[in-house]
Parts: sequence; structure tokens; C-alpha cells
Amino acid sequence: MSSSVQSVVSQPYKYGFVTDIESDSLPRGLSEDVVRAISAKKNEPQFMLDFRLKAYRRWLTMEEPAWPNVKYPPIDYDDIVYYSAPKQSEKKLDSLDDVDPALLETFDKLGISINEQKRLANVAVDVVFDSVSIATTFKEDLAKHGVIFCSISEAIHEHPELVKKYLGTVIPTGDNYFAALNSAVFSDGSFVYIPKGVKCPMDLSTYFRMNNGDTGQFERTLIVAEEGSSVTYLEGCTAPMYDTNQLHAAIVELVALDNAEIKYSTVQNWFAGDENGKGGIYNFVTKRGLCKGVNSKISWTQVETGSAITWKYPSCVLVGDNSVGEFYSVALTNNYQQADTGTKMVHVGNNTRSTIISKGISAGKSKNSYRGLVQVNPKAEGARNYSQCDSMLLGDTSNANTFPYIQVQNSTAQVEHEASTSKIGEDQLFYFAQRGISPEDAVSMIISGFCRDVFNELPMEFAAEADKLLSLKLENSVG
Amino acid sequence: MTKSISTTNVSASAVNRATYLKHLLTQASAAADESTLPLKALRDQAIATVSDHTFPSGRDEEWRFTDLSDMLSLPFQRAAKGTDAHQLAFSAVQSDYQLASLNGHYRSSDSKTLKQAGVVVAPLSELLQSPDYTQKLEAIVSSRLAQLQGAEEVFTALNTAGFTDVMVVWLAADQVIEEPVCVVRESEGEAIAHLRTLVIAERHAKLTLVESFSGTGEATRCNTSVTEIWLAEGAQVNHVRLQDESAETFHIAKTAVDQAANSRYQCTAIDLGAKLSRHHLEVYQSGPQTDTHMYGLSALGDRQLADTHSLLTLIHPHSSATQIQKNIVDDKAHAVFNGKVFVAQTAQLTDAAQLNRNLMLSNKARIDTKPELDIVADNVKCAHGATVSQLQPDEVFYLQSRGISAEQAQRLLLYGFAMEIVEKISIESLRQSLSDRLTEWAQ
Repeated sequence: MSSSVQSVVSQPYKYGFVTDIESDSLPRGLSEDVVRAISAKKNEPQFMLDFRLKAYRRWLTMEEPAWPNVKYPPIDYDDIVYYSAPKQSEKKLDSLDDVDPALLETFDKLGISINEQKRLANVAVDVVFDSVSIATTFKEDLAKHGVIFCSISEAIHEHPELVKKYLGTVIPTGDNYFAALNSAVFSDGSFVYIPKGVKCPMDLSTYFRMNNGDTGQFERTLIVAEEGSSVTYLEGCTAPMYDTNQLHAAIVELVALDNAEIKYSTVQNWFAGDENGKGGIYNFVTKRGLCKGVNSKISWTQVETGSAITWKYPSCVLVGDNSVGEFYSVALTNNYQQADTGTKMVHVGNNTRSTIISKGISAGKSKNSYRGLVQVNPKAEGARNYSQCDSMLLGDTSNANTFPYIQVQNSTAQVEHEASTSKIGEDQLFYFAQRGISPEDAVSMIISGFCRDVFNELPMEFAAEADKLLSLKLENSVG
Repeated sequence: MTKSISTTNVSASAVNRATYLKHLLTQASAAADESTLPLKALRDQAIATVSDHTFPSGRDEEWRFTDLSDMLSLPFQRAAKGTDAHQLAFSAVQSDYQLASLNGHYRSSDSKTLKQAGVVVAPLSELLQSPDYTQKLEAIVSSRLAQLQGAEEVFTALNTAGFTDVMVVWLAADQVIEEPVCVVRESEGEAIAHLRTLVIAERHAKLTLVESFSGTGEATRCNTSVTEIWLAEGAQVNHVRLQDESAETFHIAKTAVDQAANSRYQCTAIDLGAKLSRHHLEVYQSGPQTDTHMYGLSALGDRQLADTHSLLTLIHPHSSATQIQKNIVDDKAHAVFNGKVFVAQTAQLTDAAQLNRNLMLSNKARIDTKPELDIVADNVKCAHGATVSQLQPDEVFYLQSRGISAEQAQRLLLYGFAMEIVEKISIESLRQSLSDRLTEWAQ
């Protein structure tokens, strides 16, 4: 971009502090013993150990995918700590008062309200620190409605029948390299079960924090919405600044039965590395929703601003007739960030519909790719898809790509895809200047307008946060 | 490290593919040895390139949707000079410049060549014997033949290793030929042939090139075709490509284009025939302000497969490009489209638009499309779109309400869909013949 808009440095990462807290970690490296140790530490039943071992053995036979449009040095899987938990007394926590104050302080700094007095916002939060779930709020209130919201380790003990029935059904253990790795070593995550006909009374939320420098974070989320139920779920994440790269390989599985609706929103703000591309999180995540029942609906909304590398394709498998899949995404990359993200919409049932809206913003020397798949199976009558992916380039050293795959095997399908690339025009900035608006404000307004279609899908608080986040990330990009 | 590096088992099919490629290469070299063209260095290089490759499988991203495994059981032999005495002619276009070949072997009886100071339309084998083949011309040809980017692709290299002749079209600076130059390619019998064409338009030269590929008989065969087109500054080439091979043909083609500053290139590719056809159109830029138009139409039935791959690489500023690819698939046919547009940081002020539209007429048909944009420059206008659908019932109904039968309405809509591409062809007689052909196809 010419004179007035230039990529310079972005706002320093404000969540980059390290909490000095004693942790209980396994030694580095991965072997069958480590997998057994993780399972034993969590006191898991036999079926979970079998699940992990099956995944681990599968992982050994797999190869790391080379097709994403990202570059990174080879990962040494033996140099990662696969389990790390903040040291706490052995006994179960009765209330938040028992939680290490240093931890609470950490989350205060992050602006997460797990303290009792801050529970004014009507959102139930599950907090995951390194590999372990720290606290889940509003549990009792939710239980009154029959909603189960707890950490997945807790669910394995208390609701093994549900976990056994759904875990790994959407993303099988051998689905892909990182999914297999996660299935073998996942430490914690959230579990949500919404019973038949229940509209979840409040938004549910998980907050992930990576603290330890050598830890990989492998969390796993499972959400099951029974017939006629609905739930809105939010996910947020941050990590301290280290100049080494950390691996984050998570799995999210959603199951929506007849007439159920799940809305899953993410604001991802892992540490992205410094302006020279040093450090940052490798965010290799598998997210997939299964619209199992008729008229079910799964909607993914994501705002991706962090991570050195993002490799993520929240997908919908539309099995139930008339089911609906949606994907709304804003991906912002700056400096040396690389993002290869998009979605997959697999149409299996009749009259299934999907919408994809993807907005990519690339600044600095970053690389931003949209990769999508729309697949209409031979028996899916009357499938409908609309995809739109727009890219905005700030500066002429960043890179925008689109790789949309469209595979149609049924003639009654209607599939549309469109993509465009643009920049912020001098004339637009001039128009703002005429009205006394500075270039910085103008750029931030234009970007916020560019992302409007996606932000509209976010819950209110999240939308405001996302908007702010984008302007922070691009601060000083205008000069 | 406990994770052992898994040794990939060399599967039986991989062995199969390796042997098959070796077989094709042997046939290609034998064909090259029989031809008298003194191109040893070029051939050796191509042989080395092919030897570095494996025969493509579905695991190669570029061949993911185009399955060549049917070929593996067909041990094609190099094509002999055809015996058929019938006249090779391209009825749709009458021209004074025609180069005809049967199974890749040049047929002088059916050709009308031209060798004069400013214009050459002749096969290389004949040029070599001619006193008009000056050192200067030789230098021009040898600096261009097989020198375009993308030559390391396996079928292109195989073609270089095995072509029996090269159809050469050369226009000196400021030369303009109004009549189209026709390159007529016919095939017969069970064989593999490697067809090669080299077109050079010097500064401000202008020509229309018509390539036609067709075959007779029911024999299974394979044709690889490579057409290299060089446009110097301000040159204009209007290229029409008509692929109407016989039903059991594997047609694997590459058109590689180099565009210098201010040049204009248009390709209109029509795919009607072949069992499996692939057209890889690559346009490279060697100067600013180029203008590129890529149009394509595939109309397929039965179990036909047509694959259009295109690559447009823009590295200079102020260029414009349009692409429209339309596919109609009926029965169990399968259309593949992969259009790549790369806009480098140096290609500011590019205006590129790409559209892929697919019409599915049967539930057994299949479409795989992937329009791709890769953009680094920020001051550009780039867009692409892709659609897949069937004929719209409301459009059919509208025509019915005007007293046109449903069947006729469908034919009319199909015809309209296809003609948008055909109308880009500037040769009236060819437009007419294709229009008739499509009307017949739509029946």
C-alpha cells in the first residue's frame, strides 16, 4: 500500500506474561508409556486407555501432512511435554477459594470472570490452564435444567456412557495426523450435554490458557445436543510469549440430533510470535460438527487473530435431511503469521444447505489462505451451498490465497462460490479525511465494515472484543 | 524418538506405474530415433526429466480427480505412419495455410505450407531441408523449442522425448496473416503419438491459429500434444483449439504461452471428444500490460472425462485477464476444472476475473472444480467464481409459457449456455459448424 497505509508493527501482545506456578509435568517425549501414564494420572477407565492406545498406534503409522500452504521447521515430537498441570492439593476443590490465588490472578489479568463476584455476566465458563480444567462456573444452575457442563475428565468419570457413545464418532482416532496425536494424549477440555428439548439458559464458554513453555496443549471438546435442544458456545485462548514454538493440537466434536442447534464461536488469540516471526503457537486443530438429525443446524464462527501458524478447518457433515451448516470466519494475519484455514461442508442428506462466509485480512509479511471443500454426495438431493471468500491485502508483501474445492455428484445441487481481493483505496481514506477522520480510525472502520457479516454472528460481548482485537492487531499499520 | 519413520511400502500399483512410464519412454525414444530431427541434447534432457518422474496417480494433487489408471493396462506402441489415404482436411475452415498430420507424422499431400522471408508455416522436418532455413531462423527455433516454463511436467517431457515432427509457425515482425493457420491432427489405429506445435509471433505480428484434433475408428489410443506459443512485444495470437478425438482416446495436452509486453493472447478451447482429455493451459508473462483471454467449453456425455487445468502467472504490472470455463456434463461424464491465477508482488494494477460454470444434466455426472487465487500484490482487482447447477425450472417454465415444449426449451437453454463460449471464436464458418454440432449434441 502506498503512502498512507503501511504495515508496520502491531500492538505488543498483552497476554504474553508467564504465571510462575508450580506444575506437575510428565517428562518430555511420547511413547506408549507416556500415554499410559496420562491415562493413569487421570484415573481413567479401561475404555479410555484403549481409545488412547489405539490412537497412538495409529499415529505411529501416519505422516505429518505436507499439503497446507504453510512452512515451518520439522516438529520434534520428543521434545514436547505432553502433560502439565498446575500443582494443587490432591483433594477435590470445593469452591474457588481453594484454587491457587496465583491462578486466579492470572485469569483476572486476562479479564476472565471466574471469581464469584464477577459472575454477573450471564456466561458459564470452564477454564483450562495448560492441560487441566481449573474451574467450571454456574454448574449447579445448569444442572437444574439437566445441562451437563464440565471438564471432559470429569465427564469420563461421571458420565462414561455418554462419553463412550459419542467420543471419536465425529472425528475418528485416525482421522488425520494431529487428530490421532490428540486422541492419544489429550489431557482435558470441555464436555457439554444438552438434554432433549432444552434450550440452554445461558451461553457456555471455555477459556484456554497455555502457560508452560515446553508444553503442548491437547484439549478436546465434545458437545452433544439432543433432540430439539440448542446451545451457544464460546471459546477463547491466549498464551505467554516464548521465543520457542509451542504445539496446540485440539479437537472439537459437535453432535446435533433431530432439530437441535449448536452455535460455536471462537476468538483465537494465541501468541503469534514477535514481529520477526520468532516464537508463537502452532495451532493445528481439527473441528468438526455432525448434523446427525433432521433439521439440525451447526454454525461455526471464528475470529482468528493469533498463532504463528493456523491450520484449521471447522467442518459440517450434513447427514440429517434439511440440516444446515454455516461457517463465518475472519482470519487476520500480520508480520510472519501463516494461516491456512477454511471449512468443509459435506452434503449427505436431502435438502441440506450450507453457507460459507470467509474474510481474510493479510498484513506485514504474512500468508493467509482460504481452503474449503464443498462436497455434494450422489444421493444428496436438492443440496444448496453459497460460499463467499473475500481477501483484503494491507501492504504488498503479504499473501492471500484461495483454494476452494467444489465436488458435486448430484445434478439437483446448486453450488455457488465467489471470491474477491481488494485493498483499502486511497479514495476511501481521502473521503474519511475530508470528514476529519484520521487514517487510523478510517482503516479500523473499513476493516470492521469488511468483517461485519461475520461479527454479526458473534454474541454481543464477543463481537465487541473481536472488533477491538482487530484494531489492536493492526495498530500502527497506518502511517 | 519412538515414532519410527514409516517406510512407505512400494505397492504393486506403484511398480506398475513405474514400469508403464518406462515403457512409454522407450516407445517415445524409439519414435524419436526414427525421426531425422537433430535434437539429441533436447531429447536427452527430456528423457532425464521423465526418468525422474513417476506416472501420475490420484495421490498427485494435479491429477487428483483425473484417473489415468485405465491406461496402465494399455501397452501403447509408437504410431506408425498411417496407411489411410483419405484426405486430411478441416472442413469447417478453409485456409491457404494448413499443416496436416496423421498419427503425428506430417502429410505433405494434405498441407499447404509457406516458406518466405517473413512467414514460415511448415513442419520442422521439411524446414531443415529447405534453403530458406537460415541460420537466423534456426537460432530462433532452437531458442524457443521446448524452452517454455513448465517443460519439466511429465507428459510435456515425454512429448519432447518422442515427437516425430514439429509444426512450426513463425511470423516476422509486423507480419499479419488474416487467414487462419490450421494445424490438423488426425489419428487412427491403436498407438501413442506425440504431437508438437511451435508458434512464434515476433514484434507486432498477428495471427489466428486453429488446432483441430480428431480420430477415426474405435481403437484405443493416446495422444500427447504440446503447443508452445511465443508472443513478442505487441504481438497478437488468437488461438482456437478443437478437441474432437474418437471415443476411446486418451488426449493429454499442454498449451504453454509466453507473453511479452503489450501482447494479446486469446484461447478458445472446445472439448467434445475423447474418453479422457486433459488440457493444461499455462500462460507466463515476460512483460507488462499484457492482455489474456481464456475461454473453454466442455460438452460431455457417456463416461467421458474432460479436465481443464489453467495457470496464469502474472509478474508484471498493468495486465488484464479474463477466463470463462463452461462445462456441461450428461450421463456418467465427469468434468474437472482447476484454474490457478498467481499475482506476484510486482504485478500491481492487475485486473483478473475468472469464472467457472457447470451444468449437470444427469445424477450420475460429476463435477470437481477448484478455482485458485494466489495474490501478493495489493493494488489489484481479482475475483473468481464457480457455480454448479442444473437447468433452472423457472427458465424452462418461462419458455413453456411462450408455447415452447419443455424439451425444446431445455435444448434452447443448453445451446445458449454453450454458445457464449463459441461466440468468442472469430471465424464465422467455424462458429457455424460448432453451433450445428452443439445443436446435434443437445438432442
